[in-house]
Amino acid sequence: MKTLSCLALAVVFSVPLARAQPSFKGPMPDATVIVDASLRRAAYLSRIDEALVWRAAMAKPGEPKTFGLGEIVSKLARREDAAACSERLIELMKAPTGDMFWMFPVTAIYYLGRDQLTPEAKAAVREAWRAYMPLRGDTENHWAMYYSSLYLMAQQWPDEPGERWFNGKSSRENFEESRDYLLHWMELTTTIGQGEYDCTHYIGEYAIPMLYLATWARDPAMRQRGRMMLDYIFADYAVETLNGMYVGAHARTDDTTLLEKWNGLSSFFGWLLLGNCPPTVAYGGWGIYFVAAAKNYELPEVIYRIGTDRAGTYTHYERKRTRHRWRNSDVRNAPVYKTTYITKDYAVGSDQGGLLQPIQQHSWDVTWAVPDPRGVHNTIFSNQPHFSAHELMMYFTEKPDFMPAAVTSQGKPTYIAESKLLGGSPYEQIFQRDDTVISLCHVPAGANFEQVNGFFSKDLARFEEDASGWIFTQGGNAYIAYRPLAPYEWKPLEVGGKRLRSPHGKNGTIVQAASVAEFKSWDDFKAAIRALPLEIRLEPTPRVAFTTLRGKKLVCTYGAAPVVDGTTFDYSGWKLFSGPYLNAEVGSGKLTITHGALERVLDFKTITITDRVKP
Amino acid sequence: MNIRHSLLLSALGCALPLLAAPAVPAAPEYEFFIAANINRNYVIGSKIVTTNGVFRRDDAGAWQHVGYNDTGISAFAFDPRDRNVIYTTTINGLWRSLDGGKLWRICNDSEMTEGLDVAVDPNAPDHVYLALPDGIAFSSDRAQHLERREHGLPARGKFTRALAIDRTRAGRVLAGCEIGIYLTEDAGKNWRQVLPTKDTVADIQQSPHDPRIWFAVTQSAGAWRSADGGLTWIHVPAAPGDRPLYNVTFDVTNPNRLAIGSWGRGVWTSEDGGQTWADRNAGLPAGARVWRVGVDPAGRLFASVVEETLFQSADFGRTWRPDALAGSAVKKFLLLPKAVK
Repeated sequence: MKTLSCLALAVVFSVPLARAQPSFKGPMPDATVIVDASLRRAAYLSRIDEALVWRAAMAKPGEPKTFGLGEIVSKLARREDAAACSERLIELMKAPTGDMFWMFPVTAIYYLGRDQLTPEAKAAVREAWRAYMPLRGDTENHWAMYYSSLYLMAQQWPDEPGERWFNGKSSRENFEESRDYLLHWMELTTTIGQGEYDCTHYIGEYAIPMLYLATWARDPAMRQRGRMMLDYIFADYAVETLNGMYVGAHARTDDTTLLEKWNGLSSFFGWLLLGNCPPTVAYGGWGIYFVAAAKNYELPEVIYRIGTDRAGTYTHYERKRTRHRWRNSDVRNAPVYKTTYITKDYAVGSDQGGLLQPIQQHSWDVTWAVPDPRGVHNTIFSNQPHFSAHELMMYFTEKPDFMPAAVTSQGKPTYIAESKLLGGSPYEQIFQRDDTVISLCHVPAGANFEQVNGFFSKDLARFEEDASGWIFTQGGNAYIAYRPLAPYEWKPLEVGGKRLRSPHGKNGTIVQAASVAEFKSWDDFKAAIRALPLEIRLEPTPRVAFTTLRGKKLVCTYGAAPVVDGTTFDYSGWKLFSGPYLNAEVGSGKLTITHGALERVLDFKTITITDRVKP
Repeated sequence: MNIRHSLLLSALGCALPLLAAPAVPAAPEYEFFIAANINRNYVIGSKIVTTNGVFRRDDAGAWQHVGYNDTGISAFAFDPRDRNVIYTTTINGLWRSLDGGKLWRICNDSEMTEGLDVAVDPNAPDHVYLALPDGIAFSSDRAQHLERREHGLPARGKFTRALAIDRTRAGRVLAGCEIGIYLTEDAGKNWRQVLPTKDTVADIQQSPHDPRIWFAVTQSAGAWRSADGGLTWIHVPAAPGDRPLYNVTFDVTNPNRLAIGSWGRGVWTSEDGGQTWADRNAGLPAGARVWRVGVDPAGRLFASVVEETLFQSADFGRTWRPDALAGSAVKKFLLLPKAVK
């Protein structure tokens, strides 16, 4: 089976890691906000250079296996060893593999090497684009990589007949089809939301293609669109980060990043663009392909400031969409409603629950800030473990019955496990207000797992099970109260910490977070939580009435719209972005990015960027 | 147009002679093809080198690779007039070769993805139908241009797994969709539902012996039979119905013999035209997980077993022996008259 995409970095990317990676191994970056634009740029270029130097040096003389596409792209970006790169490239073009993950590195190599590679090496690349037939793939990240690469190579080799291309289409056909798809995806994303939204790894699979368009597209409008989409993606990222860590709900993450929140490719972008966290190992793996052209992009100050320089606590709202649903759904793309509450000490983020993405969905969590995130499981959350052929049929076109087991050997090992902590459930309904999350579950009898799992980190500073039914915890400078709705037991986790297992189908979780600084003492926090009005009912269907620490009266009933302070909550007016930093109306194609007096408006209808400093 | 071929070709997975008598050894007259993926542990973007695509069984019983190596192949078809014209459905959509597999072209653009089945109308062989996860496309020029033809299909529920062309009349096509079987009698301009189902119709086949007889199998609602050319359908209660049925096939050598491939029920056969069915999993690997079954021109039954290999049976499932292609998943069996061109 092959439609389950490609997070498997271990399969497609292997780099010897023995050589020191300065920022990966070094001390935490200085988080001081760099106000001076030239200094900020210099720091950015320095980080680019660090990554390129490291990767270029991975190639060892006489050891061809150490000299891959990543090393070639790094050397060409540094304009060194062009002859050796050419020679090695000729060899590598004899047996291409990797589909669209081959296409974009080779595109970068060709463009970087236009004035460096030998004619023979260029000819080898050209021939590979005729003889090798890469898959286009089955997800939007595949298509972004495939079509941006094909667009640029068709641009590079214009006026050639179909016989010269792997897909039998002429240069013109390939160029026009690629352009049309890219414009379609950009429009979809900027009007009704990104499909694979807020991914801790796949952010790179969108950012890299957009950077290449911004760098090498000859059409000024496409270059501009590439730049604007980069701003769009990075603004979307920056606003939901806590010291560079992508927080809250994700369309796709993985079992590692789920717990160690920093440990995703997204943090590489935090390091590179915001300078406020370490890069992940090997500069995120794919990160090198961004770095190779990164000097052609400059993160706008307004986005930099959003990621690094916040005035205080804020709530950010987003509307996204599911990826394409083929079956088992009345709609092709269902809306996703996201809420993220961020303080300097912690972040609480969520979606509305349900099956919003296949396999790797993460619906809600609390993440707390830590001095150094490396190796730290700085999060707490619960999930309703679920897997089903029904879910897979919804998002994939293959026969579903083989897929659950097959998924586990394709980089998603926990998919069918009772102990799984990753993935969405059709039986979970979530509502968030400020830093309170109420998750209600109603799992029908006979479903795979009639239970809720809760993750309790090895890195919690405090942990107390209270007679009131609350579990009081502290992570960093965040107090977190966790209330299971049904009886539970504890299971150890191999990675450390423990799993709350609550084996009841009618179930749920309430979480209330707060900053340590809000209370005189730990005991005061606990007393405050105990004093909050709370009614829990599980029959005939789960229902919670809870007055939050922020004074909101929430009534959540499974299967019904939430009620806030007596008013039934209505999702119909939910904007594409809303909050102090990002704002966009559904369908507008216009994103306004604001920080203090700084404002940037990305208007995808007119393909314009408008900057201003407000009075 | 080669009339013989146009009559013989069925787009249902086995192109068979309308007037063939039972038990006629037909091996010299037919070629037997499969579409198979041999790509265990492959994921998109993987560097694993795998073998996939169309394979033809040669006279010595070996499988010869035809065309190109596509990890995502799901179905294929030939132009009945010219074996050099090959269509394959894959993750990329629809590929076509006009020269026997030397050069290929992706026929669809980005708006269509993940082709699931392809069928060529034997009575209008320029007409090509493409099953898509979100509908059906049609071409009147050998897939040079594709257009969606979905009038009458539901807004949702038009995931199309199988296409089957009625060999008796041009433009008459049955489509296996998410919520039922749909019929067009005007080359896809209009569709109407002839069988509602609550889950995907996985396969539809027309009898090589009587064009009025059709069988269909489904993801969750068992097997169905039509005796009026697909207009009305009757549930087949004796066939397994509690697990997904992936395909059904007739036996060209015997009008009473059919076989079903199933996930969880493995191989089941009938030797009385579908009235009674027998479990034929003895001798196959445990688990009864079968991608697909097919019958070759000599009446040998083949079963593609999940994570295993291809098995064959000379006694219609009573005993089995391994064939070749270890680790393969066969997505389609196709029986064709030997090519003139």
